[in-house]
Amino acid sequence: MDKSTIICRCEEISYEEIEEVIGNGARTFDDIKRLTRCGMGPCQAKICTSLVAKVIHAETGKPFHEIPLPRMRMPLSPIKLETLATSSTSFSTVKSVLDEVELEDGKVR
Amino acid sequence: METRFETIVIGGGVVGSGIAYHLSERYKGGVLVLDKKYPMTGTSGSTQAWVWVHNKTPSWYAEFNMYSAELYPYLSKKIGDVEYKRTGGLSPFFSEEDREKALKLAEAYRKIGIKIKVLSREEVLEKEPSMNPEVVGATYSSIDGNVNPFRLVDMYMRAAKKNGVHYSTYNKVTEIEKQDGKFTVVSDKETYLCKNLILAGGTWSRELGEMLGINIPVNQLRGQILVSEPLKPFLNHTISGLRQANNGEVLMGYSMEEKGFDRSTTLDVIQETANMALHYVPSLKKAKIVRAFSGIRAMPEDGYPIIGKVPGVENLYVAATHSGVTLSPLIGTLITELIMDGETSIPIDRYSISRFGVGVKG
Amino acid sequence: METDVLIIGAGPAGLAAALETASRGLAVILIDESSSLGGQLPQQTQLIRPLPAEYGPVRGFELAEKLINQLEDYPINYLLKHRVVGLYADGSVGITDEENVFPIKAKKMIVATGAAERAVAFPKWTMPGIMTIGAAQTLINRDFALPGNEAVIIGSSDFAMDVALQLKSVGVNVKGIVEEQPEVTARDNVKIERVQQSGVPIYLNAAIIEAKGNGEVSEVVIEHAGRVLTEKVDLVCVDGGRSPILDLFYQLGCSFGYQEKLGGWIPQYNSNFQTDRENAFLAGNAAGVTSQGAILLTGMIAGISVCENLQAISQDEAQQIRGSLLKELEILEDKDVWESRIHHIESYANPKLKDQFIS
Repeated sequence: MDKSTIICRCEEISYEEIEEVIGNGARTFDDIKRLTRCGMGPCQAKICTSLVAKVIHAETGKPFHEIPLPRMRMPLSPIKLETLATSSTSFSTVKSVLDEVELEDGKVR
Repeated sequence: METRFETIVIGGGVVGSGIAYHLSERYKGGVLVLDKKYPMTGTSGSTQAWVWVHNKTPSWYAEFNMYSAELYPYLSKKIGDVEYKRTGGLSPFFSEEDREKALKLAEAYRKIGIKIKVLSREEVLEKEPSMNPEVVGATYSSIDGNVNPFRLVDMYMRAAKKNGVHYSTYNKVTEIEKQDGKFTVVSDKETYLCKNLILAGGTWSRELGEMLGINIPVNQLRGQILVSEPLKPFLNHTISGLRQANNGEVLMGYSMEEKGFDRSTTLDVIQETANMALHYVPSLKKAKIVRAFSGIRAMPEDGYPIIGKVPGVENLYVAATHSGVTLSPLIGTLITELIMDGETSIPIDRYSISRFGVGVKG
Repeated sequence: METDVLIIGAGPAGLAAALETASRGLAVILIDESSSLGGQLPQQTQLIRPLPAEYGPVRGFELAEKLINQLEDYPINYLLKHRVVGLYADGSVGITDEENVFPIKAKKMIVATGAAERAVAFPKWTMPGIMTIGAAQTLINRDFALPGNEAVIIGSSDFAMDVALQLKSVGVNVKGIVEEQPEVTARDNVKIERVQQSGVPIYLNAAIIEAKGNGEVSEVVIEHAGRVLTEKVDLVCVDGGRSPILDLFYQLGCSFGYQEKLGGWIPQYNSNFQTDRENAFLAGNAAGVTSQGAILLTGMIAGISVCENLQAISQDEAQQIRGSLLKELEILEDKDVWESRIHHIESYANPKLKDQFIS
């Protein structure tokens, strides 16, 4: 494949850029993603997963069944914050940084 | 293949690579960094990456964080653009009761020379117009900011490699022994010998310590973070819970769950986080979330960093902490000082592993 | 919202599974992100065969009608324009209608989310005018829009042949089919002949070198038998094959195996079409890319297995029905696809990918 070929169309990452980070030790899709932003765009790697696998295969010789899938995440497709939000006002796990400040005898601990 | 190194660092995340880089700037002995996968597979690749000082307590700990935050501009000059922004940090509150806490915090900090202001509602809205108008006040510090963690670790690695540091990745350490003044480090691919050994294993510190019979009490605390589509720049500050990255994405999240090493996300926390984000910045409601990821914080048992020599084992060092992004320049500097000068430029006794009553078995 | 069976995906596999479960008295919710039932079928104008005995051969949209009408008598809860967002800590599935996100708690779920087309990369492949064959078919048959006037098709599968004929039927000048291999990959000889008779040249041992154009595609450069040819086109349809859509399985924590002939990574499952997450079953292309007839059978098998699991039928009856469905599947499915499937089922205990969320 021509090295200028775009692999991640969302972030416009080329074959060459991926080749460079593989040369720097990156082996999995996720390694490549963190170093190049490949797969961080709106499609969240839906389009480039198979293309990146081809590049890894071409550059490292690894068979496809040894090239793991990228980590996939929720939401399964983009969703507006207002759709996600609920009317609940209790936060069991989500805090504010100020919450962590503890006062003891009227002084900061 | 070279197997003898003067110094080996186990763990190539922000702390390990930060140490390797800082060491390589002054040190002429060979350095090897070992990582069981590739740097950023762990916490360093799944963080909001605040460089955050204020609200850290007690004040000596805030001061420690401040020293590190102050090293960032110089660091960027040396290793390259890590998208470090000293945006200033805002920690908003929505009830008057919290103002008392805020004022006490400001007072405690003032005593050690960290300036934080307690802002009125009008002052908050002036600094951050997108803030919910129901906000009652906020603590504000001009030193807080954020950084691109991927650029940071990548730049540390590249600069370290340029200085001659070797990296061996996808190479898990399985055994460590000390014999005749040297460490034998056995890994998947190779057996190495070294004089100095630095344990920077993050969330896996306990496991590493066990190989040497040492207790490194680091627990795991999960945090889930939402990422929006890129938005026009509109958030000026790093807000406790949210920040906007250079490419316009807004990162949201400040959750804590004890889930061991489980990095899944749950809609329960995702929805709570969405609620928090809209509570702080209502104008985000039409923004789309493209991803929710989670990271596991390396949380030392008492919440404070474990940095320094391991008493009883010569040439063994440990660096394990949460807030690794904020603290990496300082930790890198301190460990380098310990190895090169035998002492540190600021006191770090309170961060010693000896506070956990550690002793080497046998 | 609670139910016995949550079926995700109302394509042919989901519809077949809905019939098996609803007709035996189970409470079924069938959800699909589209505004209509049938998945890809309603836009398929070609004759589909082979199909299981009770169906065939019919055109895609006719098959869709049949599958939908079969469900008329059953109180199925259809949630169209609803999609899965993720999962809650207690295992409920988070669904959205674009207004809110709410949980559906189901005793069992059948995931029939299908397969997606793969991209084909070459210099300038991201220009307007370059699309997948599926996208071209959707434009013609669903949106009644002409995707272009002068086209070239990269790839020669049965699907590519269908689209070549469909493009010709709406007046597009299909200038060639470009295939890398020495033979076409399509299996249906009748289809291949029709394409040849329609005058579309098929270039074997040929590959696309690059696309050219300014803001949109205007030509393609092809290498064929040592020569380089240029064709003026405004439409390039690429066939990169398809692979199962894995997102929901991944979130469920399912483990995966790899089978090239089934489309690559596939969730691990046993001969009951049950994944290694006890309450999650699967069907259709999600279980491995295959032909339409096979898709229907997998839907039926998953449906029967869920009925057995929820005791809507006896174990004996389930085994009997499933046994004959599996026999029919073996006959209907292409030999190498079936063999891959057996191999995959047999390696259930040894997945290639698992524990994906454990740090």
